[in-house]
Amino acid sequence: MATPVMEAIDQTQSPPQGPPRPNVIYAWLTTVDHKKIGLMYIAYALVFLLVGGVEAVLMRIQLAIPNNHFVSPQVFNQLFTMHGTTMVFFVGMPILFGFGNYLVPLMIGARDMAFPRLNAFSFWISAFAGLLLYFSYFGASGLYAAGSAPDVGWFAYAPLTAKVFSPGHSTDYWTLAVFLSGVGSIGTALNIVTTILCMRCKGMKMSRMPLLPWLYLVMASLVFVAVSPLTAAQIMLTLDRYIGSHFFDTQAGGSAVLWMHFFWIFGHPEVYVLVLPAFAFVNEIVPVFSRKAMFGYPAMVAASVSIGFISLSVWAHHMFTVGLGPVGNTFFVFATMVISVPTGIKIFNWLATIWGGKVIFATPMMFCVGFLFQFLIAGLTGIMLSAAPFDWQLGNSYFVVAHFHYVLVGSILFAIFGAFYYWYPKVTGRMMSETLGKWHFWLFIIGFHLTFDFMHVPGLLGMPRRIYTYEAGRGWESWNLIVSIGAIFQAAGILVFCYNMVRSYYRGKEAGHDPWDAWTLEWSTPSPPPAYNFAIEPTVNSRRPLWDLKHPEDPDSDYE
Amino acid sequence: MQQDHPINQPEQQHSPEHHADTVLLPEPTPWPMVLSLGLALSITGMVTHWVVSLLGLVLTLRSMVGWFFDVFPHEKHIYVPVQAGIIEITSTRTTRSQLPVGVDHRKLIPIETFSVTAGLKGGIVGGIAMILPAALFGLIRYHSVWYAVNLLAAGGFVHWAGESDAFLAQFHLYGLLAATAIHGLTSILIGLLYGAMLPMFPRKPILTAGFVAPLLWTGILYSALGVISPILNARIDWLWFVISQIAFGLVCGFIVNLQVKVRTPQFRALPFSVRAGIHSDQSHKEDPSHKEDQ
Repeated sequence: MATPVMEAIDQTQSPPQGPPRPNVIYAWLTTVDHKKIGLMYIAYALVFLLVGGVEAVLMRIQLAIPNNHFVSPQVFNQLFTMHGTTMVFFVGMPILFGFGNYLVPLMIGARDMAFPRLNAFSFWISAFAGLLLYFSYFGASGLYAAGSAPDVGWFAYAPLTAKVFSPGHSTDYWTLAVFLSGVGSIGTALNIVTTILCMRCKGMKMSRMPLLPWLYLVMASLVFVAVSPLTAAQIMLTLDRYIGSHFFDTQAGGSAVLWMHFFWIFGHPEVYVLVLPAFAFVNEIVPVFSRKAMFGYPAMVAASVSIGFISLSVWAHHMFTVGLGPVGNTFFVFATMVISVPTGIKIFNWLATIWGGKVIFATPMMFCVGFLFQFLIAGLTGIMLSAAPFDWQLGNSYFVVAHFHYVLVGSILFAIFGAFYYWYPKVTGRMMSETLGKWHFWLFIIGFHLTFDFMHVPGLLGMPRRIYTYEAGRGWESWNLIVSIGAIFQAAGILVFCYNMVRSYYRGKEAGHDPWDAWTLEWSTPSPPPAYNFAIEPTVNSRRPLWDLKHPEDPDSDYE
Repeated sequence: MQQDHPINQPEQQHSPEHHADTVLLPEPTPWPMVLSLGLALSITGMVTHWVVSLLGLVLTLRSMVGWFFDVFPHEKHIYVPVQAGIIEITSTRTTRSQLPVGVDHRKLIPIETFSVTAGLKGGIVGGIAMILPAALFGLIRYHSVWYAVNLLAAGGFVHWAGESDAFLAQFHLYGLLAATAIHGLTSILIGLLYGAMLPMFPRKPILTAGFVAPLLWTGILYSALGVISPILNARIDWLWFVISQIAFGLVCGFIVNLQVKVRTPQFRALPFSVRAGIHSDQSHKEDPSHKEDQ
């Protein structure tokens, strides 16, 4: 039954549907619609996710047994460089920008992003950056002759990047691709901040805004501060390599440590640039599948903003082994440990939201529960590594690799998968298969724990990261074999996920506009939403406008 | 369902009746894509051939001109027709059932709490009160008020680890500054904690603030001080430490409790008659402070 109050939200009946146009490709190339741009971001990131995943599997085959020569040392160096660069710059950021592009305007009741043309520009320049990076496999003349991908590691420490140690153009491809990607990131961040601050619908005060836009606001603000030094550093490195300046040339008065500072003042906030949107997805999914309002909304906002600020003062914990001195060590140990306070608040609030709720273990919720558990473990190993003496022992070991993959895969990727299952019905109008979704979840979580739980052990036993192969008899063999077997499970899970997405698009159950009985504005539009999102600008009175409409006898506005 | 074709129309030709059934959206444009391609090719020439840069430059200039005319003199828009209808915003679930809450039921969320400034004031005054027993300890044991100050500051000065008691009993400016920073920050943080926690335990504030919290805090520090400050751990006198903590707790709790309470959002959920003071809130019947109000 429709009630008059419902009309205030949306009167749109259906999305535009008709015969396919002959110029569909042109329409996608020229679109400025935030939803289409968001989907292009996501599709492009998924392609690179597969590419980066294949690189990871190749590395794990190489390391599965001792004295292996499945790939050459040169190729192995390229694999870990390209894997890291791809996953951070061309999977993590684009996929999260894609979700932000799609969801932020819908959740705040806007018709588009603030600068639609800048939005398209930001996407395309990021996309061309990814293509430029991979063109190095064909076009670069690096240390290993023609067709040489970058091989200096994803953080490209000086002086390895100097022309004398890295001749040819492979490092230039890396520098220029990351530089271009940074331009796109800053453009999208500008769009997100402006959209959230200026285009909220009537009644949506900041204190009534859903948590997802809140976290995207913090994340986009962090991008301004974090990406700019990286972009500056890329320009300095390019000047070093092309016109012989000496910013990072240690033999001519430059400083290799300066590069470290520039890179990590980007690199550590970047972790939070990636994880804050993951938090945002969990913030939306957990309440809906617990059938409760989010516990401690103001504390969650405050914790997110705190994380944003504190994350700017922890970068040098990546450099404890450089030798910072007692004052530097003490400050960065303290700052790093302090960041566990707001993240702890978040974990407790998610648990409190689930606590006493009527929990529905649909696939999105299962991924979020996996996220909660794994993010906790990632945080605990993070606190261990934040203690400088511990880091001196285990810096640059596989323990560190296991820790940050617990963050990037166990936390961020799990939340992203949850988001896919949650919002896929809104984007396509079809439900994803729950059966295949659960297959995906179980295969992936088993694979994840086989790989990254056991990866801590060779790290503790002294196995350094980026090592090409190793001698038998060091006690690392069986651990590495288990780790590699886990990668196969994860790959199988990803294949099930891809199949599920394609199959559900054609044969999935009709979703309707609100399949999860959710509470935020995007679920008041048809699935998929029309180009204009809302026929009439919505008006909201609480943080859960659809709850108010569904339950006028007990609206949230009475409590906020 | 109708086909939703964008209609290309310049904005100035738009008539008012269009507004009822169309929505204005930015016109699709190829120039952002071409500009990004141009910029990407411009720098790709640095790693391939200068001709690639030249091509990129041409594309960049052309797309800048194209983009310029997309937005000047008037931003180009399209009108997208809207097929209006009613979407049902309904839930498959019934409204949540409210479990009857007995008058003796434990209430976790207070309807009144202290403001942040209450905690700040309590922390500052409590911190000052704590100095007295600490200084007394220094005077009695080492005949110097500076001993406790330097002992607290020693956590930040690794080279003080081997210094004698006589050294710690002397005045050191850096020691005073460091101790002031450590003590001030900690006192304010603990004060804020008191401000947040005291409304949750309203019945015996002197016991909670003056004794339970200081003893708990001392217990935590007893187990952790060896890691936080080994120097302090080696020389601390726990009896005097507990006395100082109790002094802080009593004064801080007293100051916090003096402040006027502010109402939480939970208060607004109470019926109007209760908020207006016409009827009492039955669930608070047993609350002694409420009896006072009556």
